[in-house]
Amino acid sequence: MPVLNDKQKLMRKLQQSCFALAEANLYLDSHPTCKMGLEYFRRHKAEKEAIEKEYTEKYGPLTAVQSDGTKKWEWVAMPFPWERG
Amino acid sequence: MWQYEKKLQYPVNIKEPNPALAKVIISQLGGPDGELGASLRYLNQRYAAPCREVQAMLTDVGTEELAHMEMISAILYQLTRGLSMKEIKEGGFDTYFVDHTTGIYPIAASGVPFSADYFQSKGDPIADLNEDLAAEQKARVTYDNILRLTDDPDVRDPIKFLREREIVHYQRFGESLRLVTDMLDSKNFYAFNPSFDKK
Repeated sequence: MPVLNDKQKLMRKLQQSCFALAEANLYLDSHPTCKMGLEYFRRHKAEKEAIEKEYTEKYGPLTAVQSDGTKKWEWVAMPFPWERG
Repeated sequence: MWQYEKKLQYPVNIKEPNPALAKVIISQLGGPDGELGASLRYLNQRYAAPCREVQAMLTDVGTEELAHMEMISAILYQLTRGLSMKEIKEGGFDTYFVDHTTGIYPIAASGVPFSADYFQSKGDPIADLNEDLAAEQKARVTYDNILRLTDDPDVRDPIKFLREREIVHYQRFGESLRLVTDMLDSKNFYAFNPSFDKK
């Protein structure tokens, strides 16, 4: 495994958390009243929101509407994900 | 990655079904200058964009085109609700109906199915952005032609919105092309391809 820097480590955590939500989302689409599924989704949603908040505060917006700069449009400051790093 | 939002970019509320009109508006879904081709054009081209501004523009316009595809599909859906077999035959919708019932399938008004032949991704930002400018104008003309073909204000309103967006995108792509040429040798923009050649 390559050595990850802090930004990459936090991105991995965010990707894992978002993937858990994506899986739960599909499961709940066909099992909309499953109590365990709903509980799982809520737990991971809270976790994802916390990680996303930390990531965007440290490294910038993940979506254009999260841009909040007063001097520069932050959306064009960060690399796009197909550029390595 | 992408996330879906359960809302249209601009409202679509059509009261009167009209299968004959659906048969021509479907070109803006799966036709040569339609929204599906537009979205795929920009979302594929963006990897060859030489700066963040143009990467962002192609990503964001390509994303908006997906929302326009959804608006066109909503128009088609509403124009083909609750049709009788008589209305289907009289509206000339029978040739579509036989293959797709009232499902949404991307074809041109002439019946030709959607094809990736409708766009290019050339790996050269000057070539790509010039194609994009032409594409926005061609889509604008298609919307002008649709507006000539219907008096229904419920249809004209969202079509006029989509037509306006073509004009805005044309403007933004013009600025993107200017950003790219400003990065290059002003005596010869074609001296090298900034997305391929090493300076």
